Amino acid sequence: MKFLRSVLGYAIAGMFVMSVWGPMASLESFGIIGGWFAAFAIIGPMWFLNHYVGLIPHESDSGWVDMALGIGVAGVMRDVFLAGSVDPLVATLPTLGLVILGGVLGGYVAAKVEESMEAK
Amino acid sequence: MTIQHALATVAGGFIFPFLIRLLWGKLVDNFGTFGGWMAAAFIVGTTWAINHGTGLIVQSEGGAWVDMAFAAGFGLLVASVVRGGNASKAMPNVLAAIVGGILGGLILSLYL
Repeated sequence: MKFLRSVLGYAIAGMFVMSVWGPMASLESFGIIGGWFAAFAIIGPMWFLNHYVGLIPHESDSGWVDMALGIGVAGVMRDVFLAGSVDPLVATLPTLGLVILGGVLGGYVAAKVEESMEAK
Repeated sequence: MTIQHALATVAGGFIFPFLIRLLWGKLVDNFGTFGGWMAAAFIVGTTWAINHGTGLIVQSEGGAWVDMAFAAGFGLLVASVVRGGNASKAMPNVLAAIVGGILGGLILSLYL
């Protein structure tokens, strides 16, 4: 049941982000401020559902698996299923690798900054 | 993907989990649930504006959409493990995120 809850949480977050966000941010609607508002309108309730109410369970000493991971996978897989082939996934590997590299660095440095702040 | 674009993309990936890790929890501590909504707008919204609104994260030609969410997913996991989180206990949720992401992507592809 816990695994099913997690799958649901990641899938729902991924679906909202990868369907509604783009049209909200399109130039025919509101452009870049529409994308900013989409974050409020989509990430707000999805964070509340998954990480505040706790649809996605985390044990207190578990490493943190943010709903963002499901959102990222949903974006790539949407395009793969739409193309009906893995070509878009292969073509996007440079960006994917660099974004993950940046993310790992950012997370690591943030943890070190926290440690430094707590040490005073 | 030029070297300039590659460096820009790494920088875009860096900034997102960095801001979430340092700010989100504090906002919730200070403002309660509403702090989460503020975080959604002022962290995710504002970071989206630079990463995807202006394109600091450079997408590959003909490639599937790489969202800055990947940076948050990996970065926040790394940060929590650096601060003592158990990596192996996180694996069921990593698997669930992959399964859920594939499921969500499949459902969207049915009508988009």
